[in-house]
Amino acid sequence: MNKIEINFLDDGMKIFLDYVIRQYKKNPDYNPHPIIRAFKNALSGLEKVKQGENSMGVSCNGSEDKIYDPYCVVLKKEEGDAIVVQEIRNMMVNKTLPLDMMIIIFRIQIQLDKIGGETVSPQQMVDVLNKVIPGNRFYALGDRWKEARDLFKKKLEEKKISLPINVKDNKFIEEMSAIKEDTPWEDYPNNIRSLIGSVLKEKLDKNVRIIITSPKNSKIEKCKVFDSATEFLLGKTSEYVNLSEEN
Amino acid sequence: MNDNKIITRETVRKIYAEYFELIDDFFGSIKHHLGEEEDSHIDLGIQMASYPLISDLILDAIDDFSFEIEKFWAEHANTIFDYISAQNTLKCLYSGNISPVILENFVKKSCLYVDSIIIADPAFIVTSMQNEVISDSKYYLNKLVSYIFNLWKLKDLILSEAENDIIFILPISLNLVNPETKKTLLDKGRKDFIDYFEKITGQKGIASDEDAIHYLKGKSIEEIFDIIKDSPLPYFFKEKNNFLSFFSDFNEVSKLLTIDDNSAACGFVTYIFSQFIRTKEHNLFCEKLLAEPIYDFEVPWFFFGYEYGYTGMDSSIATALQKEKFDWISKIPIKALGRLREEGRLDYMRMMMRNGITDLKAKNDSELIKISSQIETNFKEAFEKQKAEISSIEKEVSKILERDIPITTAVNLLGVIPGIGNAVSFASMVRDIDKSLEKTMDLQTIAKNKRGNFINLLIKSYEQD
Repeated sequence: MNKIEINFLDDGMKIFLDYVIRQYKKNPDYNPHPIIRAFKNALSGLEKVKQGENSMGVSCNGSEDKIYDPYCVVLKKEEGDAIVVQEIRNMMVNKTLPLDMMIIIFRIQIQLDKIGGETVSPQQMVDVLNKVIPGNRFYALGDRWKEARDLFKKKLEEKKISLPINVKDNKFIEEMSAIKEDTPWEDYPNNIRSLIGSVLKEKLDKNVRIIITSPKNSKIEKCKVFDSATEFLLGKTSEYVNLSEEN
Repeated sequence: MNDNKIITRETVRKIYAEYFELIDDFFGSIKHHLGEEEDSHIDLGIQMASYPLISDLILDAIDDFSFEIEKFWAEHANTIFDYISAQNTLKCLYSGNISPVILENFVKKSCLYVDSIIIADPAFIVTSMQNEVISDSKYYLNKLVSYIFNLWKLKDLILSEAENDIIFILPISLNLVNPETKKTLLDKGRKDFIDYFEKITGQKGIASDEDAIHYLKGKSIEEIFDIIKDSPLPYFFKEKNNFLSFFSDFNEVSKLLTIDDNSAACGFVTYIFSQFIRTKEHNLFCEKLLAEPIYDFEVPWFFFGYEYGYTGMDSSIATALQKEKFDWISKIPIKALGRLREEGRLDYMRMMMRNGITDLKAKNDSELIKISSQIETNFKEAFEKQKAEISSIEKEVSKILERDIPITTAVNLLGVIPGIGNAVSFASMVRDIDKSLEKTMDLQTIAKNKRGNFINLLIKSYEQD
């Protein structure tokens, strides 16, 4: 058998571009991932530069108020019609996107396209992330929030939880004190939901690294799913999570 | 039916062009990896499925391929079906595997004898299997890529504007027939399987395939072989090693399918039972398309013959051509099949191969041993005759060149016609020379054509083997 030389950037990009073209055929208003839009912008720019020079394209999701998935793509014009991809950078975490991460991003886009509308539920978000990121790292807390709350309370009473210094301010204590037995999960502040939800980790599969604590009926914008993946794989979280750990 | 509307070849060609566009839309991004080797599509399937990130990306990206291919055939299957049925030609419908492993070679061999080969659309079959029986996504990708690019290699031939109709693809599945017919065929297939199972095992009272598995439960492949070895079996299975390795491979593949029981008993029963259902499907579609059955592997051929009897000369010759001894035919370039049709040599080939074969002989030769030997003899005789004809023409040409023209010219210069002795004019002398030259040129052209024609391409391939 002759070994086929797979070029992850070239082949991955071609496969995804074919997918994007098919989506355009079905829906002319289809909005491809910012990486593709940044590519397109960089390609347009190449027409204006000389051989040996670079062209940069930038694109993102979101609105004027809040930007998600900001990417820049740098292409270099070479001899003839050749183009060299110099860099694909995620500007949120300010890191060059590794090729395997690029493919994960493309796969997230494809999975999200299968879900109608602009938002997903926490469970859908977790399903998408677990499908494309190996190891079942994500878990949606859903109805188990009460179990997490009670466990958190117990651990706090037993002084088995030591809060980080940055949360031991007055505001935090004020927010915690406002929570009653009958306070619905929806009314918990985001940071407290995260803190409480994280204690359930010990009762979950050992592979779980991230617990999504949003209330189960909440609607999460699709672009935030990319942010979660990028943050998990490239951002601060990645410094605490060893992805190469065995399942 | 299409309301008696005449379906033209151009309509069919356009449908197939659309089919390949659909394939290109989904798989165009990896086609540049397809090598020149005859089995490069198999390599491509294996390798695409083996790259973790790329294979996952492809699987996600082609997730709706199954839906699109079903939609495509929902729109076009009847048109293709009606067109094929209306062709008053010798057509053969393939069965026994998703498609022949190296389709190009299969087509080269078959189309020396038949007008058209019909194969089930591999994309339709593999995507249907994924929905029903394949549980391992990488295995699915491997098979899908492999079979799609097996067909892709014949794209130019299928889309050729020449009036050849060498190969047809269309969806073939019992799922496409009306539920009542399907049920009848499944019930009959099940009953025939039970009869066969009871015959080969000697066990009576088997009521279902589950019963059959239960009867063989706990037995190894070797033990199953010992039970059935003296019963009516495909010739291939009578060889113990073949039997063991075949079912060992089958059980390995079963692990990638939605079959929970990986025992030898389950593997054996599942395979044999599936053969009885498959023959029902094959026979039904042969009848609908007015086509003959064709196989490239002895085992499914045996089961078809067991169920319906060996169908006669055409089916036997077309199937016998798939034997290993005719592998030399694969060396002919696929484009040469077009030349065979252009030269109008298909009838000649058919008559040549039929020499010494009758329907009765074919029906009595279930293993195709005598048929294939006769075809081999027929080829050899045809090649000898062709060589002798070329040699004879070449001798005639050299005779004219070396003797007739110089003598005629010399005698004319002396003012006499050889053998007659009358004085001739200069004009008649020139006419005489022209005539000889014309004859020489005609013979040279005939010899050249004969040397370059399709039969000579076959001789070349045969002698290189």
